[in-house]
Amino acid sequence: MTRTCCVWCPDWPVVAARHRDPSLRAVPVNVCERVGAREVVRAASAEARAAGVTRGMRRREAEAQCPDAVCVDTDDALEARTFEIVARAVEELTPRVVLDRPGLCAFPTRGPSHYFGGDNALARRVHEGVVSALAGLHHDGPADEIRIGIADGGVAARLAARRAAHEAPFVVEPGGSAAFCAPWPVAVLGDPELTSLLVRLGLPLLGDVAALPADAVSARFGAGGRRFHDLARGLDAGPAVLVTPPPDLVEQMELDPPAARVDQVAFAAKGLAARLLFRLAERGLACTRVVIEAETEHGERLARCWRHDRVLTPAALAERVRWQLDGWLAAAGDLRGDEDLDDTTGGLTLLRLVPEEVVPADGRQLGFWGGDQAAHDRADRALARVQGLLGYEAVATAVVQGGRTPLEQVRWVPWGDAREPQRPLVVGTFPTAWPGSLPAPYPARVFDPPVPAQLSDEHGHAVAVSGRGEQSAPPARVACAKLPGGGGGVRAWAGPWSSDARWWDPTARRRCARWQVVVDCGADGGDVACVVVVEAGRAGVEAIYD
Amino acid sequence: MGSQAEIADPGIAPPSSPRDVEARARLRAVAARTQPFVAAGDRRLAVSGLLGELLPAGGVQRGSTIAVDGSPGSGSTTVALALAAAATAAGEWAAVVDPGGTLGARCAAEAGVVLERLAVVRRAPPDRWGAVVAALLDGITVVVAAVPPRVRLGDARRLVARARERGAVLVAFGAWPVEAAVRVHTGPSQWRGLGEGMGLLEARDLNVRVDVKGRGYARAG
Repeated sequence: MTRTCCVWCPDWPVVAARHRDPSLRAVPVNVCERVGAREVVRAASAEARAAGVTRGMRRREAEAQCPDAVCVDTDDALEARTFEIVARAVEELTPRVVLDRPGLCAFPTRGPSHYFGGDNALARRVHEGVVSALAGLHHDGPADEIRIGIADGGVAARLAARRAAHEAPFVVEPGGSAAFCAPWPVAVLGDPELTSLLVRLGLPLLGDVAALPADAVSARFGAGGRRFHDLARGLDAGPAVLVTPPPDLVEQMELDPPAARVDQVAFAAKGLAARLLFRLAERGLACTRVVIEAETEHGERLARCWRHDRVLTPAALAERVRWQLDGWLAAAGDLRGDEDLDDTTGGLTLLRLVPEEVVPADGRQLGFWGGDQAAHDRADRALARVQGLLGYEAVATAVVQGGRTPLEQVRWVPWGDAREPQRPLVVGTFPTAWPGSLPAPYPARVFDPPVPAQLSDEHGHAVAVSGRGEQSAPPARVACAKLPGGGGGVRAWAGPWSSDARWWDPTARRRCARWQVVVDCGADGGDVACVVVVEAGRAGVEAIYD
Repeated sequence: MGSQAEIADPGIAPPSSPRDVEARARLRAVAARTQPFVAAGDRRLAVSGLLGELLPAGGVQRGSTIAVDGSPGSGSTTVALALAAAATAAGEWAAVVDPGGTLGARCAAEAGVVLERLAVVRRAPPDRWGAVVAALLDGITVVVAAVPPRVRLGDARRLVARARERGAVLVAFGAWPVEAAVRVHTGPSQWRGLGEGMGLLEARDLNVRVDVKGRGYARAG
């Protein structure tokens, strides 16, 4: 079992936010994130927590608990690139740093511990190094909290870091991990489903689980339960069966011209991550630890190892690549310190993903009726390819939302983003009222902006609408380039319905009137139904029913 | 002797008992009630509604190309969306290549398309059009592609071959220069519900002509 040192910075989102904006150091801070339609607290500073704010609390509730706290939005990129400072400080002492997530990293202690004269001395060195690196950025105020734990195995080290205090690293003696883990509740190992079952079975502590015979645990809970049992006993041998990855599985990509912006590389990294995991999956393997390597135009080589508790998915891997790129690229410009960060200068020329630790993939559950998942993957690959050809925004999916005009009623979201409407169409089970919107049938062609047109009465004068919403004369003719034959006589019409949208906002206010019109477009075109809008004296065809 | 002869000739179906005849008749009645109906092994997508009745065997064959055209306002978009709905109703994916970015999504939902599984390519330069449609045909069941003016014959033929190879359905929307298994043409239509200064659009009579390669169909619905 590997003796591991874990470096944990509690409330990392708060620390990162305070690094960006030093004025936040004096006040309580809540970092909020959006989960579905709700905004919840992701992390809170110590002062806010003392006032009763907890993780996962709704933002409104947190503001009520601690009214003088400042709420900031979560920023993954900022967290990742600020944590790069910590990772570099640890890297001064050992080359084998493995990042879990921004705020948490670990490394095996065997070599460095001998070199620096024991675990306690090593822990003190790490603490000093990290604190001085973080202090180098702002020079004043209290030092950020760093907790360091050393124990046998990664999980025990993480728990030891939780037990540690700011100035006092916690070292579990060799062989003492099992006894150290026993009094912790089962919830600390994650896996909420299994945890809830164990608690209901009367096994609330890791020690209770560890006391069970291993074969009984295997029989009842399967492979997942067996691993949980090992962790509970303080045995953290890493993945059960470790396979040395074949060397030809390295995926790399040359960037020409060199990429200087994160989003350029991050988009490319998505494809790279998917390809790597796909090729591993072809061999029945899944990846738990990956080294992200990059080369810059000045020939520097950067490498960092990321691990994941479970198996990395393409999305999770792409996210980690993005975090790391944020750390390398943005750190150079944004957080330039005196000497520590200016070595990443040029753009990136090469990106490489090296799977360092792979385990046999134990398969994925297909949909109940079988092939659905395969079709889904195929469709996703095809659409990702089109996004690669035309740009991310070019492929969209439609979300129906509340609104008055056919244009407002649809929001186009890039394929792959969350499908959330801006304005609700339905609240609970009630459709919200949008007075003045046209009912079904809906137009098949919607023009943004409306196509210029002429709406005239039987004498050939343009139809105007008075301030009271009355038309000057019934419409008799519509001419527009989008109509077959250039338009024609009006066969039937209804309206005008005037609308005065956002009258409270002088810049966004829109006053207009709409008609639904059936135009006789001659023998070839037949009857064409369309929506005509008159705004500021100019007519336009807003939509055609095709 | 008679029984031996029956065994020796597997080409003839075994004689059915009166019970089988009755069961088969009942099955046919259920199948007729639940139209459109496609057996699992069939390489066909069922199209619902009146359009399905016009199409040969009530649907579109996977791997085939369908050309839809008609002047704006005559209902050609509605017909193309009904074909896309056939894919999403079967739990598969559909895509629309719409370089003008003018597709009305609520109309698509009204035509029966499940919007979660409809991808819309809202801008595509004419020189990339062929590459985009080819990439979509690789993974998407029904691809509705607005044909740009002056499409090259070679490009069009390649796309037809690609659809056949991948088992996808290409719905070419607009003037399609090469062969298609089915051609749907929409003619002048009539609207109902709107009067002189009153009422709202309610329904319309579509005028659809379906030409199947080799056969001619014409019907209004």
